[in-house]
Amino acid sequence: MDKSFLSYIRGPIVMIALLVAARYLFPNKMTFLFEVSTFGIYIIANDILYGYMGMVSFGQPFYLGIGAYTSAIYLAHIGHNIFVAIGLAIIMGLLAGLLFGPAYIRLRGDYFALINAATCAMGLFMVEKILYPITNGDDGLWYRSRFHETPFLDLRKPADVFWFTMIVLFLVLVFYTWLDRSTLGAGLRGIKASESKMKFLGYDTFKLRWTGFTIMTILASLAGSLYAINYGFVNPSITEPARAAEVLVATLLGGGGVYGPIFGTLAFMGIKDFVSSFMDRWELAVGVLTIIVCFKFKGGVWGTLQTIGAKFKTGKAKPADAVSGENAG
Amino acid sequence: MTSNALLKVTDLNVSYNKLHVLFNASIEVNKGEVVVIVGRNGAAKTTFFRTIAGFLKQDSGTILFKGKDIGNLPAYDIAISGLKYIHQDKHVFADLSVKENLELGSYATKDYNWDRVLEHFPKLKTLMDRKGGNLSGGERQMLLMAQSLLGTPDLILMDEPTEGLAPHFIDDLKAAFKKISQETTMMIIEQNLPLTAEVADRVYAMKEGKVVAEITEKKEIQALTFEKYL
Amino acid sequence: MFELYLTAVIFGLTISGILFLVSVGICIGFGLMRIVNMEQMVYYTFGAYMTYALVSSTGSFLLGLLCGTLVAAGSGYIVETQLLRRVYGKELMFTMVVTFSVFMIGIGLIQYIFGLSSKPVGMPFKVIVTIMGANVPLYRVIVFIISITVYFLIDMFLNKTIFGRAIRAGIENPDQVQGLGINIRRIFTITFVVASGLAGFGGVLNAPLVGVTPYMGFEMLLFAFITVILGGLGSLKGTLVSALIMGQVVSVGGTIYGPLAFVGPFIVMFIVILFRPTGLYGVKGRAFGFEEE
Ligand SMILES: Nc1ncnc2c1ncn2[C@@H]1O[C@H](COP(=O)(O)OP(=O)(O)OP(=O)(O)O)[C@@H](O)[C@H]1O
Ligand SMILES: [Mg+2]
Repeated sequence: MDKSFLSYIRGPIVMIALLVAARYLFPNKMTFLFEVSTFGIYIIANDILYGYMGMVSFGQPFYLGIGAYTSAIYLAHIGHNIFVAIGLAIIMGLLAGLLFGPAYIRLRGDYFALINAATCAMGLFMVEKILYPITNGDDGLWYRSRFHETPFLDLRKPADVFWFTMIVLFLVLVFYTWLDRSTLGAGLRGIKASESKMKFLGYDTFKLRWTGFTIMTILASLAGSLYAINYGFVNPSITEPARAAEVLVATLLGGGGVYGPIFGTLAFMGIKDFVSSFMDRWELAVGVLTIIVCFKFKGGVWGTLQTIGAKFKTGKAKPADAVSGENAG
Repeated sequence: MTSNALLKVTDLNVSYNKLHVLFNASIEVNKGEVVVIVGRNGAAKTTFFRTIAGFLKQDSGTILFKGKDIGNLPAYDIAISGLKYIHQDKHVFADLSVKENLELGSYATKDYNWDRVLEHFPKLKTLMDRKGGNLSGGERQMLLMAQSLLGTPDLILMDEPTEGLAPHFIDDLKAAFKKISQETTMMIIEQNLPLTAEVADRVYAMKEGKVVAEITEKKEIQALTFEKYL
Repeated sequence: MFELYLTAVIFGLTISGILFLVSVGICIGFGLMRIVNMEQMVYYTFGAYMTYALVSSTGSFLLGLLCGTLVAAGSGYIVETQLLRRVYGKELMFTMVVTFSVFMIGIGLIQYIFGLSSKPVGMPFKVIVTIMGANVPLYRVIVFIISITVYFLIDMFLNKTIFGRAIRAGIENPDQVQGLGINIRRIFTITFVVASGLAGFGGVLNAPLVGVTPYMGFEMLLFAFITVILGGLGSLKGTLVSALIMGQVVSVGGTIYGPLAFVGPFIVMFIVILFRPTGLYGVKGRAFGFEEE
């Protein structure tokens, strides 16, 4: 496999270029593109759990909420520096992974899914009620006016937040490409295929899972932090367990691979955006859509794109090429 | 060829997800025979039986039972049509008593003639109220055989019935095999070669997912010379 | 003071009753079909809304009870035969997402028909009884008695009838039940229809107590999952015992210290899971996702 530096950044550059192009082609869709990028990171986090390790969590909003509330609480009560806020969110994500990981990853698949749901509900309750004095409960925290100017990019301006998000997404994608090809990634996939075989081969599957879980919490927390920065306020709806389904649906829509999460997010957000233009609530549409995807498009959007891409240029169907082939062409 | 074989399997291929484990297996079983399948651990014997009994779906190949294609039937239809499979794990319903276990068999087959099946396993009569979970391995095997005999099936598939049993139980089972083979056809997976030599009319040897040999010579079976195929 | 706690205990029993009714389907779904049944609360919601519709149009609670239960059972029948049959034996994520989608579709339909706002449902009778000095609505006591009766009926059905034994055997080992020649699909369907009917019945009974909203199923789903996990997958008795515990944790716990009503169940579940990963009455070796250690 091509392991040159270029091969790691080629795909991510194309991806970011597409998003930037879209931002200038559809100027009024900037918020949408920001959400796709942020949510994409969140979905990548979940894909590490599901796509790599085969673990399903019904409590992903909790890990998103950790990042969002860490940044928000810091900005609303303590400091003014946005980069510090993001750094703190990453640290809290790391701590959450280290702390919850050992207890949760030992659990059987079904318990793991549901205990995360329970954790998420607890988290919601914490920010709504118990931590009321610092989170302001349902009213949410507002702190945009407290932002200090930052060097290079002025993150008080939405346009600059967009650029900043592009940089973060780029780094995340490079990391994800690396993971895809690394021994760590192979080890995580091995857990999904057969944990007992991995153990037999001498892997410490507990540590592997713990690592995967912690990467997930860090990335989800980072995504939450970006939300908090962009909107300048958070409220408890970010950690609602009811929204756990969105994550799973988008992950399934994506269908795995390095770019699956981004395309899944794009498809999911696109449909949500479209449906909510003529329907108050989009549950019905998302439900029907998911069932169709589950039964008819087993590979998800990315899988389907790759199949089509492979048909176009038979012979070589490398993911990075398929992206440019399908979207730029 | 003998198109009136009781069971005729042709070119069966089976895989677990993408792992291909059974390759082009073909066998025939005629009415009244005792056919034994031998092969090392992992030779895909269980996979073969489970596919015939409808618990696994084949990738390709046909399974004719009494001249009818059963390759796409659900397992319960196959069982009702007269082909019973006794699993390797010797699982009986732990929560139910021996009596209740048998009642379930009768419920499925509408055959309440217990005397006929218990005649082969007198020991079971004394255990009627014991919970399945408290039976010994040999007693479980007896119960499973009794259960499967309900409804007078045409063919019984047994997956390593003597695995892990004490020698005296094996003797009991051997006697039972001989009696049962009078009334029904049997196909047995067996690693115990001396036992095979005693009960088998015909032997198929399996190796690494393929049926590698068919041994019809009584002498060859008796002398255990088919061992070379394993 | 004593009366306060006695009232809390009795309120807790009512909550336990409802929790038990709505959890049966999830419990049996885990045990028999080996799926995580996220959509059970659709039937609960349907039951509650049917009650609202019929009580507000005809004024008859009994009619609501009948229709609510039947509509729930009927929806269960459609979902099982059209959809769930295709997911049995598939991986965990797949079944969870499919059943959750059904849940969202159900909620979407409710919103489409009844709108977003919450609706009140009147109590069928307003009698207050005094039990050892504590004043409680008779309706709450009756709900509990009904639920317990349902438990004993199910228990008797499972233990005394041959069909019930087939279900128990199926919970233990579905392959073997099929191997005997029992039509396991029919068992699945009948069991599922009864379970969704019970969830609907729970929704009907709970409607006067909590009112109806499109999202009423979400919260209930979490509580139901906690109940089933705490009790142990596939164990009806475990579900009842843990429903009884949960009811008291919510009600008495909430009386002692408000937030306990919400956090208490989670804490109890966490502790039990840490020491008994299979729940109070769970069966070992019942893996869905991972191989057992
Ligand atoms: N559920 C499964 N998923 C994946 N692979 C399996 C599964 N069951 C069996 N296999 C593999 O298929 C091959 C054949 O297994 P099978 O159980 O059919 O062998 P067998 O001949 O019955 O062995 P034994 O004598 O130990 O019972 C083995 O390599 C096994 O690892
Ligand atoms: Mg075997």
